[in-house]
Amino acid sequence: MFNPLNKRIPREFKSNAGRYICTFILLFITIIVGAGSLVVMDSVTLMLDNMEEDNILEDGYWETKYETTKDAIKKVEKRGIKVFENFYVTDDDFDGNAKFYVFNERTEIDLPMVYDGRLPATGSDDEIALDRLFAECRGINIGDVIDVNGKEFKVVGTAALPDYTALFMDNQDMMMNTKDFGVAIVSSEAFEDLDGQNLTYRYSYRFIERDKTDKEKNDEAEEIIKILAKSGADVQEYLTEDANQSISYLKNDMGHDGPMIKVFVYILVTIIAFIFAVLTSNTIEQESSIIGTLMAMGYKKSEVILHYLMPTIIIAVLASAAGNAFGYAVMTDGFKATYYSSYSLPPLKLVFNVEAFILTTVIPVLIMIIVNLVMLADKLSLSPLKFLRKDLKKRHQKKAVKLPNISFLGRFRIRVMLQNKGSFVVLFLGIFFSSFLLMFGLGLTPLMDHYVEVADDTLPYEYMYMLKKPVNRHGGEKLYMTTLVTEYYLTGKEVDVTFYGIDTGKKDSKFKDSGATDGEGEIAVTDSLAKKFNVSVGDTLKFRDKNTDEEYELTVVAVNGYTNNLGAYMDRDRLNRLLDNKHGEYNAYVSDEKMNLDDDDIAKFIKRSDVVGSAKEMMQTFGGIITAFNVFSVFAYIVIMYLLTKVVIDKNALYISFMKVFGYDSREIRKLYLDASAIVTVVSLIVCIPLEVKVFKLAMIYFSSMIEGYMEFYLPTSVYSEIVAMGLICYFLINALHLIRIKKIPMSEALKNRD
Amino acid sequence: MNIKINDLHKFYGDSSNRVEVLKGVNCEVLDGEICVLLGPSGSGKSTLLNIIGGIEPATSGSVDIGNDSTEHMNAKQLTLYRRNHLGFVFQFYNLIPNLTVKENIEVSAYLSKNPLDINELLKTLGLYEHRDKLPSQLSGGQQQRCAIGRALIKNPSLLLCDEPTGALDYKTSKEILVLIESINKKYKNTIIIVTHNDAIKYMANRVLKMRDGLIVSDTVNEMPMNAADIEW
Repeated sequence: MFNPLNKRIPREFKSNAGRYICTFILLFITIIVGAGSLVVMDSVTLMLDNMEEDNILEDGYWETKYETTKDAIKKVEKRGIKVFENFYVTDDDFDGNAKFYVFNERTEIDLPMVYDGRLPATGSDDEIALDRLFAECRGINIGDVIDVNGKEFKVVGTAALPDYTALFMDNQDMMMNTKDFGVAIVSSEAFEDLDGQNLTYRYSYRFIERDKTDKEKNDEAEEIIKILAKSGADVQEYLTEDANQSISYLKNDMGHDGPMIKVFVYILVTIIAFIFAVLTSNTIEQESSIIGTLMAMGYKKSEVILHYLMPTIIIAVLASAAGNAFGYAVMTDGFKATYYSSYSLPPLKLVFNVEAFILTTVIPVLIMIIVNLVMLADKLSLSPLKFLRKDLKKRHQKKAVKLPNISFLGRFRIRVMLQNKGSFVVLFLGIFFSSFLLMFGLGLTPLMDHYVEVADDTLPYEYMYMLKKPVNRHGGEKLYMTTLVTEYYLTGKEVDVTFYGIDTGKKDSKFKDSGATDGEGEIAVTDSLAKKFNVSVGDTLKFRDKNTDEEYELTVVAVNGYTNNLGAYMDRDRLNRLLDNKHGEYNAYVSDEKMNLDDDDIAKFIKRSDVVGSAKEMMQTFGGIITAFNVFSVFAYIVIMYLLTKVVIDKNALYISFMKVFGYDSREIRKLYLDASAIVTVVSLIVCIPLEVKVFKLAMIYFSSMIEGYMEFYLPTSVYSEIVAMGLICYFLINALHLIRIKKIPMSEALKNRD
Repeated sequence: MNIKINDLHKFYGDSSNRVEVLKGVNCEVLDGEICVLLGPSGSGKSTLLNIIGGIEPATSGSVDIGNDSTEHMNAKQLTLYRRNHLGFVFQFYNLIPNLTVKENIEVSAYLSKNPLDINELLKTLGLYEHRDKLPSQLSGGQQQRCAIGRALIKNPSLLLCDEPTGALDYKTSKEILVLIESINKKYKNTIIIVTHNDAIKYMANRVLKMRDGLIVSDTVNEMPMNAADIEW
């Protein structure tokens, strides 16, 4: 026989439709986010993994000022490594304001993947295929004609280069440059026409043995550097695949996004599970005598538990299944767009996998069931008689909690808070999580804006020219720049630190406020470095030169205000002596005016506006996500607050009815019952702010530990007020609904439910 | 089914605050009897009923029902005992508000391997016309009829009624008592009624009076009155 108790379930859904629809939607959206993003992430990850073999992805590269000698390459290749020329030409003024690398046709390494159109035909001297994202950001279409260093090319296709899935102009950049930096590919014939100007000698390499560990790969990289140094090659840049953000950033992003999404889904599911637990617990209290009767009739505890668990199971299963189906079938385009608006990838083939299904459907359902099952098993462990007597306290309170001698209203509210402490604890957690999401949504824009604002403080000059060889020119300030590595205590990995050798004695130097001295072994460090490495004045840092393996211990004598890179400043002479360079050596110029230097002498040219522009571009790609975050947070606020504060009214409907009989009006009843919820909500909103800031800061440290640079925590006070204001608006809207509900409670309630 | 109560003791509270509610109750109710349990508040009659019903454990002593004894039953066995042998009727009906009259009775029928015919029972209860109504659409008397139907549908050998007329007016109370009497005649169940109403003793085969945790009189009524003739 079908259990007649089950007939209650559809009626329960109908009579509490608001509650179930809200929780269903909250869970549904959560699962959509989880399922949709995980399936996209898994598909992208698989695509990246396949790229390694299908597109013969490099294991690393180096760039030299001049062509690396054949002898040096032979020596490197003797170590079981294949070296490929991967030269490119730079257009520093592409389309007026972008930097553009044009690579030679690739047939053996880092093979390009066509997104739309085709690659330049072999032998063509005027065809070019552009990076898809760069082309989109700059509004360049197939068929357009573009100018590269004065030569016209016809765009025949858009493509993705496996070594530029993330468009980082500089490996130390915090953000990708989707609009101001791009890559492209031309045929060998066309490249020969271009390579007279701004040619960079990049050599990409790949290990013949494919199953090397990370350590083995890094050890080999160090050996390669030594070989190149010994053979006199002036290495300008050396990056392994792992250290190359243009390759590894997306992989890492996938690696971090996945756990983050899972944590987000599970936290929210757990909060929803606790909301259900609070609501079911309230139902049990209200139906105590019915439960007692069922048990007295001979219903087993397991049957009663199952009956009260059923709505949770149904909502969890329906929301998870529908969320999954919707996430997989409809929302993947949205999640795909979040990656495709930031990364350069070929068309995505969605791959469905069981693991994502288990993670986003089975586990959330299990979380919901387990949390509620534990609560029900505990709550229903009492005897039938206790339920019949509505005596649901496990331990009898011998005396009432003694309250301070405050007003009657104050004491009454405290009693309401004590009566609903379980609901209020979940309410606090719900507010904390929703506010955190809102803080993230509202805070990301000012955080990035702040980054943009301070982006240009690292380079106090407008232009920087990295030189291939020292060239004496007037008008610029000489620098010796190098990169040393130091171990990052949080990850144990070595992180690049840019060393600026500056002339500390130069009176009109814009580096004066860098804090650098001419003392031996003394450095001034950027604020970012100090914060990331948790160092202050007087501390000693150990650095290593990757080329020579020499180690240096340097003492921090100042922390300057520069915030946007991991930099160390010291006197140029001191730096040259430290590195055993010739006296007076320099390899860069900085200047506020453009300098008259031959292109052949320039290894790299950096404009301050490049950094600022890229940060602004990145913000545009985040716009949609931020709006979605804010809408979702506000919805979560409303649902959590509504359901948990409504419990107070449901629990006290009979007493509210009594109060009306006694002569209390709705305003006075609100003061008695609703103000307790209002106080808890307001206090939670305010108390959560510093806790959320703490978590946000920890998240920023975690984020910084995964990237080369450092991003400073910054939230303007207005964001805090916006969060509290948003929370209060949501609450007071809900409060208005509760007031209507209170007004509807009839006085006859008090007379009907006398038992 | 005969019910035999042997030296039943029940204590509440801990050692410093111990109250003995039943002080060694002994009695026997015979198969098919209507037994009325009378006594002032605090005399222990509801506690005795709850112990017989297996929803409250005794401190010592036993309740023998037919060949079963509740003395050493664990919670699961007590659940089966209630499921197989007992029907409960409470003062405040405890009907499930979002189930109809018929469905409320079916909730109990579900537990029985051999339940009574529900439509016939509804007719006996005078609820057939109201079978699709929710409890909130019924009068107090109708709700109590529904609660009695819910207890009876399993055709229990023992029907325990805790103040079944306590929440009802005079006329409705009499209707309920007539119903209980007719059920006893029709289904031959043993019925124990706990009540404050002294007049109900006249319809009983056996009257047990309790005071201070003891049975102070056990009277067999050779000529019980018809419930309809009782006045108070």
